[in-house]
Amino acid sequence: MSSKKGAKDVKFDSLIKRLDFPRKSSTVVFLIVILAIIGFFIWWLNVPYIEDIFTSATISLVMVLGFQLYMGNSGILNWSYIGYVGIGAFASAILSMTPAVKSMQIPAMYPFLVGLQLPFPLALFGGALIAALVASLIAWPLMRLSDSAGAITQFALLIVINVILSQWEQVTNGPRTFTLGGKRQTTLWVAFAVAVLVIIMVFYFKESSMGLKLRATRDDRNAARSSGINFVAVRYVGYVASAFIGGLAGGLYSHYILSITASSFYMLELFMVLSMLVIGGSMSVSGAFFGTILVTVLRQGLRQIEQTLSRRGIETSGSTDIVVAVLMIAFLIWKADGITGGGELSLDSLRRTCAKWGEKFRGLKQKET
Amino acid sequence: MSTQIFVEFTINVLSMGSLYALISLGLVFVFGICRIVNYAYGEFITASSYALYFLGTFTRLPWALVFILGVSAGVAVGYLSELIAFRAFRGRSLDALLVTSFAVSIVLQRTFQLTISPRAKAVPVPAFFNHNMTVFGVVTPLRNILIIGTTILLLTVFALIMKYTTLGIAMRSASENFVTARLMGVPANLVISVAFVISGFLAGVVAIFWSARTGSVEPLMGAPPLLVGFIAVVIGGMNSLVGAVIGGFVYAILSNILSLTLPSGMLSYRDAVMFIIVIAFLVLKPEGLVRGNYQEESIG
Amino acid sequence: MSSISEATDRTPILEVRDLYVGYGSVLALQGVSLDIYEGELVSICGINGAGKSTVLKAIAGVLKPKSGHIIFKNEEVTGKNPEYLHKKGMALVPEGREIFSTLSVAENLRIGAFGRYNSRRFADDLADYFDLFPILKERYHQSGGLLSGGEQQMLAIARGLISHPDLLLLDEPSLGLSPTRVDDVFELIVKLKERGITILLVEQNAERALAIADRAYLFSTGTVEFDGDAKDLLDNVDITSVYMGGKKGAHIL
Repeated sequence: MSSKKGAKDVKFDSLIKRLDFPRKSSTVVFLIVILAIIGFFIWWLNVPYIEDIFTSATISLVMVLGFQLYMGNSGILNWSYIGYVGIGAFASAILSMTPAVKSMQIPAMYPFLVGLQLPFPLALFGGALIAALVASLIAWPLMRLSDSAGAITQFALLIVINVILSQWEQVTNGPRTFTLGGKRQTTLWVAFAVAVLVIIMVFYFKESSMGLKLRATRDDRNAARSSGINFVAVRYVGYVASAFIGGLAGGLYSHYILSITASSFYMLELFMVLSMLVIGGSMSVSGAFFGTILVTVLRQGLRQIEQTLSRRGIETSGSTDIVVAVLMIAFLIWKADGITGGGELSLDSLRRTCAKWGEKFRGLKQKET
Repeated sequence: MSTQIFVEFTINVLSMGSLYALISLGLVFVFGICRIVNYAYGEFITASSYALYFLGTFTRLPWALVFILGVSAGVAVGYLSELIAFRAFRGRSLDALLVTSFAVSIVLQRTFQLTISPRAKAVPVPAFFNHNMTVFGVVTPLRNILIIGTTILLLTVFALIMKYTTLGIAMRSASENFVTARLMGVPANLVISVAFVISGFLAGVVAIFWSARTGSVEPLMGAPPLLVGFIAVVIGGMNSLVGAVIGGFVYAILSNILSLTLPSGMLSYRDAVMFIIVIAFLVLKPEGLVRGNYQEESIG
Repeated sequence: MSSISEATDRTPILEVRDLYVGYGSVLALQGVSLDIYEGELVSICGINGAGKSTVLKAIAGVLKPKSGHIIFKNEEVTGKNPEYLHKKGMALVPEGREIFSTLSVAENLRIGAFGRYNSRRFADDLADYFDLFPILKERYHQSGGLLSGGEQQMLAIARGLISHPDLLLLDEPSLGLSPTRVDDVFELIVKLKERGITILLVEQNAERALAIADRAYLFSTGTVEFDGDAKDLLDNVDITSVYMGGKKGAHIL
């Protein structure tokens, strides 16, 4: 064994130790593998309709993960989150579209915006950056607010963002539809790649010292304060990081659906994100993951039922939302920490579950004999 | 000439402020007692508006009865939503309650959409509402005067109830310290139900005047008055009834001033400017203009 | 055991059996049992965190026990809510007084009788309380928040009494008061006992509490460490060592 460890080695060692690699990282591996398997399977099926479902589900996953980063760790519901998704959606679209299309679709746009064009990956990243920038500018004073004042402020902030997005003709085409046109640049694999990246980001944020500090502020305020954790700073970082990922999701979304309006990033969408997280379990990345899958599948199924019923003349549109809302309430009442209950899917948790089932099985066997 | 503008301004502010005061009062009653920010409040208003629509369009009942029944619809929706949804969350964290009220709001909206219609319906308005009156040389529809009068009446009645009746004392005690109030025998269920009933009642009254102004009802119409309520509550303070009323009037004043002073290109931003003012309030003076009996802790 | 229960064969007005109460995953009470008989003044003493206030809150319905039984006036009331217990005849004077500072003294008193109000009796009571607590008469229409600590304690106790409870629970009434006020409070408690009111008193000031109580329970980290006649406990148990912490520490002198 070399006794002379270079500075780099020491740092790397301590980094790995801090991240408790590889035991905890099994979660990230599991989630990515599951997503990859589903993705491959669907790609292999080559049914566009199902591919679309997967792509939009993956985009939702990114959205929910960004939301989970802040809510899961700080315990605070960020009502303004969807606004940043919207900012990212518009910003990345403006950055990626060609000047020709822009000047045609949004005649009133500022010239400097019209001329701006970046390749898609940079545009995506740029949109997320802009969302994070906006967050970083306004969030600081909001981080010190108490629960109810904070909730109402975030809510008000969402409305401000919404009003600005829906009125700023020179940027977002005002209340009219903003059409990106062209080819859909968020393909199944683009969405998958971003999702993989975000899963890694959100998970390692959670396990990092910043994530730990944030969770400390959630679990016991006074203890956290007396340990010298700077409340406001820690929340601030989480909030901005969350906005960044939200902006990323927005960019994916706008390049998928190819036409957006400010109203697509408002209460109802926030509600969907919230329901996915609550049902899956707000305190863990796995919760965000499985919640998204579950609610997406549920909504698709319900929508099919709606369509079948409407073909028979029974109009039931909108009942999907009612079912999801009721389900969310039910979870809040009986299992507020969601399906995953705050735990992550990992080698450890699998081992534990198998052990539990093994015991139950043995217990049953004993009863029989 | 300027007196006319002044009178017009005053009437606008007073009538708008009255309506806004009632809206925010409906929110604060519930918040003060159970610390619930009731996002579904807008749907109480919508429910009453739909009742007004049905009664006004399909029956020949006299207006007084239509109004009473319309307000009753608000009361019923308020009472039932507490019983069915909010009661299960008693004692839970603030965010759980927020999410619940959000979910209730969506369920109600969708229910209206499904069972009635996603499209707007015209709400019949009594003719005398739009009868023009001249006040100090300014012509204004009667309903503006009516809302001012109604608000004065209701505020007086509520002030008397809260101050002099046992129920009022009980509610005030519960809003200051719920647990201790229960230790004195004040029944939690009663006090909370009453808060929601009052909230629904106020929603009903608001519905009468709001739908008279817009002339229509549709599933999502609860959103604008809810926003108004939030703004007023933020400005005036969530912790006192007086604050709610003041918040409503201050909002009306600010809104009218902005309408008068903003350059015409920016008018569509009036809402955004209002909300930026709201956020400034929350950051600088989170307890609102009127300090109440519930102290919020500031974290940072 | 207690001399009173040996002498008579009465059922206690309050029985607590094997109570386990927790905050989250922490168990504040681990298998507490106690009895109160009518007319007694029973004191619960112990260090901070021993669970004294917790047991009072559990009895009054503020905390729901994880397991165990509470029987009040021969009825199983475990887990019932506070307003029900108040109606049944229990009144808790909470730790820290918890006066409604936005209500006047008059309104505070009125609320105290909420569940069991009788207007004629209320008027008679007021006359009585103005005797017992002259300060209340002076400040009758003033807001509760304007009273001093000692005055608030008087108001809190009056508020507890005004419903004519069968059992009065007092949670640390001397906490935070100046020595003269503490004297006043203990004098008052003795007066109330002489009127025949059944009192369960939680007090950190063990010396004074044991001096006036009939029987007492000494708590230590969630369990009953000692119980018996107050005089016996005062003479025979080294109180300071109980306060130093725990079972192993206490000595029988």
